[in-house]
Amino acid sequence: MQGTVPAGYILRSNRLFLIVILLMIVLGLVTQYSIDWHLAFRQGVWALAGIGLFWICLLIPYKVFLEKSPYIYGILLVLLLLVRFAGHESHGARRWLGVGPIMIQPSEFMKLALLLLLVTLFGREAASDGLRVGRILMAAALTMVPAYLVSKQPDLGTALGLVFTLVIFLILRGVRSHTFFLTFLASVTALPVAWQLIWTHLHSFQKDRIRTFLNPEADPTGLGYHTLQSMVAVGSGGFLGQGIHGATQVKFRYLPGASTDFAFAVFSEEWGFLGAFLLIALNVMIVWYGFDTANSSRDPAGFLLASGLTGVFGLSFLINAGMVVGVLPVVGIPMPFMSYGGSALLMTMVGLALIVNVRLREKG
Amino acid sequence: MKSTLEFPLFGRRPLVLQKDSAPVGFLRDRPVWNLPNSPQGRFRILLVLIAIGVAILLLRLFAVQITEHEKYLRLANGNILRIVPLPPLRGPILDRNGEILVSNNMNFAVSIIQFGLKDDEDLVMDRLSRDLGVPVGMIEDTFDKVRDVLPPYLPIPVLSHLTIPQLARVQMDLWRLHGVVIQAIPDRHYMKGDLAAHLLGYVGSLSVADMKNSYARHFPPGTGIGKTGLEKQYDALLQGTPGEDRNLVNSQGDVVKKLDPTLPTEGHALKLTIDWRLQKVAEDALGDRKGAVVALDPRNGQVLVLASHPSYDPNQVSGTMSRQLWSSLLSDPRRPLSDRAIQGLYPPGSVFKIVTTMAGLDTGAIDPSRPFFCNGILRLHGWDFHDWKKGGHGHIHLRKAIMQSCDIFFYRAGMEIGPDKMASMARTFGLGAKTGIDLPSESTGTVPDRKWKKKRFGQPWYPGESLPFAIGQGYLTVTPLEMARLMAVVATQGLLVTPHLLMNAPAGSDKTVKTGLPLEHFGPVREGLWEVVNNPTGTGRPVKMKRMEIAGKTGTAQVISNRGPAHHKIRAHSWFVGFAPFSDPRIVVAVLIENGGDGGDTAGPVARQVFKTYYEDYLEAKAAPTLTERK
Repeated sequence: MQGTVPAGYILRSNRLFLIVILLMIVLGLVTQYSIDWHLAFRQGVWALAGIGLFWICLLIPYKVFLEKSPYIYGILLVLLLLVRFAGHESHGARRWLGVGPIMIQPSEFMKLALLLLLVTLFGREAASDGLRVGRILMAAALTMVPAYLVSKQPDLGTALGLVFTLVIFLILRGVRSHTFFLTFLASVTALPVAWQLIWTHLHSFQKDRIRTFLNPEADPTGLGYHTLQSMVAVGSGGFLGQGIHGATQVKFRYLPGASTDFAFAVFSEEWGFLGAFLLIALNVMIVWYGFDTANSSRDPAGFLLASGLTGVFGLSFLINAGMVVGVLPVVGIPMPFMSYGGSALLMTMVGLALIVNVRLREKG
Repeated sequence: MKSTLEFPLFGRRPLVLQKDSAPVGFLRDRPVWNLPNSPQGRFRILLVLIAIGVAILLLRLFAVQITEHEKYLRLANGNILRIVPLPPLRGPILDRNGEILVSNNMNFAVSIIQFGLKDDEDLVMDRLSRDLGVPVGMIEDTFDKVRDVLPPYLPIPVLSHLTIPQLARVQMDLWRLHGVVIQAIPDRHYMKGDLAAHLLGYVGSLSVADMKNSYARHFPPGTGIGKTGLEKQYDALLQGTPGEDRNLVNSQGDVVKKLDPTLPTEGHALKLTIDWRLQKVAEDALGDRKGAVVALDPRNGQVLVLASHPSYDPNQVSGTMSRQLWSSLLSDPRRPLSDRAIQGLYPPGSVFKIVTTMAGLDTGAIDPSRPFFCNGILRLHGWDFHDWKKGGHGHIHLRKAIMQSCDIFFYRAGMEIGPDKMASMARTFGLGAKTGIDLPSESTGTVPDRKWKKKRFGQPWYPGESLPFAIGQGYLTVTPLEMARLMAVVATQGLLVTPHLLMNAPAGSDKTVKTGLPLEHFGPVREGLWEVVNNPTGTGRPVKMKRMEIAGKTGTAQVISNRGPAHHKIRAHSWFVGFAPFSDPRIVVAVLIENGGDGGDTAGPVARQVFKTYYEDYLEAKAAPTLTERK
């Protein structure tokens, strides 16, 4: 079953997973609807596009993606440069490329392209040996170039997402033990210097966010405002939630970034602990499915791709949720399916499609 | 080796994995803590990471949404709901004829709601200070004093009694004064100025201590709270219930929706037993002398007049008052803040002879028909006790002894009766105990006896001390209200009433006590009291009225001062305590004037004014025309 797969078979063999994905899309749309129906409409259009793309990505064998990954990576790098000079600016950030009414955020796709490229370059050899230092440095360079461009947009969240992608890949791919310890030692010694470098290059609002994270209630009307309002929204949801119309924090615009970074807070206020629990359960199901796919894959590249995508998906969810409930700093990593954003939704759909793709083609 | 792994969750197809090498199936076949050195093993790291993350997330959600739900809900409501308490109108106070004594004025105050403050708090304070024309420090001080005590959505008044220009400037600036609101707060208005000031009391702003105690905790800030007098006594009745103006506001502080307000309910109106015309007559008669006037209805204890001078204007003291005014009132040597009618302790002087008489009649020490010769001096253990009248009163009996207030007669009787009997009779007349009037901080006089002396000074009672006791001097002290009540017992021939100020007092609150004194003992005493006023040689002759028969007793109480060397030069306190009409008593009046000298001459005319007005207002219209008028 390396080539084409019959559509009926795809649907039958992955019915529950597909239902979970559809459910997640619906929950995301309902949440956007409760904030502003315009957003829900636009996100709905993106969702339809996403479903179409999902299907297309199922039909093309994942190995084709891997083969073409250098091109994909290259094109996206060019697009990122284009954003730098000709991007669409909004809210003081230059992240988007406009084609007519459609705004694309190339940085979101870069996460996927980077993982594909890393798997292609370093994932095909015998996996029993860990990566050597030279290759690690190469992988790091491939990550840092787009990460730098993205961080200058500025978009710290997505840049961090790229770094997370690399870290996840390295964990999965394996690093030689003495290399690992050496790198670890080097990192620890270099940390103060690196921190200094990073700190001086951070934008002031990014610094503020990190400072605020350390003590959100010190200045509730100022910097801690995001975190505090987010927790107020989540906390006022209670066990059963306030419902779509009763969620006052969103309705009266107390929650900044309600549709994007803090969409999960909106969801939690509306549906309470029960709803949040359900949403977490759905995400765990997706992660479970992804790891199961990886675990049963006979192809090392398939394994790395499926588990890497799953890791990126799971960590995005956890980091965003952690930020909403105030255990992580506000870094601007969107929550898959929940946060408003077409590019992010498309990226998520393509990623999940590739997992199914691996499952369809790599199982006995 | 073969291993089978089934995931019933996803897909129908059972998973069958075949591997030649080590067993796969990360969940089943390998202990999690093995160092991972195969790809399948390594991604257990990721798995564990995500599992830990999910666990932390769930715990945190549980804590925030369930354990601390109340806290965040309150914060959320504070975010969206702006509650402005509407202070209720404080109940008015009326006299017995419906004349309004105390009502409310409208007063505008600038208040700050903490939740409404943005990060431009300092700027807002500056603007506000410029608009109001007061130093910014003053606003911040007032605000900071209570901002941590009150919930952040309550408006905190920072300046009240705004002038129209202040009001206009703030109103125009309101759009950029985030968190500032203008409130209409009712303010107490004492219609009659300083009339009955002590009785009515005054209202102060809620102090920080008040905000913390349970009674006043739910009052809107800026609410007045009774500090003294009736305002304090009946504060709960007068308060009323605050209403709430509730608005939904968005994060910009704009009102999104007005909710139905709950309206405040006005406090109860207090109808007093006081007759303000009578009160005014009494206070006018007192003038700027230090003293007190009490008038009671002896039949039921209704207080008609309760006056104390010098007085003050409660309008200046109520609400916010200047510190200078307060300290000048406190340090005034004339003590205008003290309510002499219920707090002033004075020796009763000769008025006490009523009690001595009753005690003497009881023990047999006094026989109304037994003649007595007064030569103006009594010698005891080598001490001379003089009568107030040089040369004495000559041949007298009880009636004349009361009429002319013969000291020697009562010295003799007192020696025979002894202190304990006199003290117990004094207590029967209500002395030495609170009268139970519905006012805060009533004082209690002292009724001395052997036991008291022992306890107080550790000394036995000396026989010589019974003599001043018998004529109302020495250790004995009373309040003017106690004396009025004493006279009411004589007027009603045995009823000890509880003075009260509320007209429609709740049923069952009447605590009138029958003293059980024999009726036949009252006869000679009352006759004596009649003579005091109506006999041309009586001490109370300045009180006499043609149209109404008045009976009473004068008192000229020696003042023993322990302040300064010239205590013997301090003039005596004057008393007159009486009742009228003689045959059917309707009113008891007690007048005390500090250092007024002779009781009949100084206190008497004040009492007469009150009697006269009472007669004109209440009895003249109903009384049958007199013989002269018929002609």
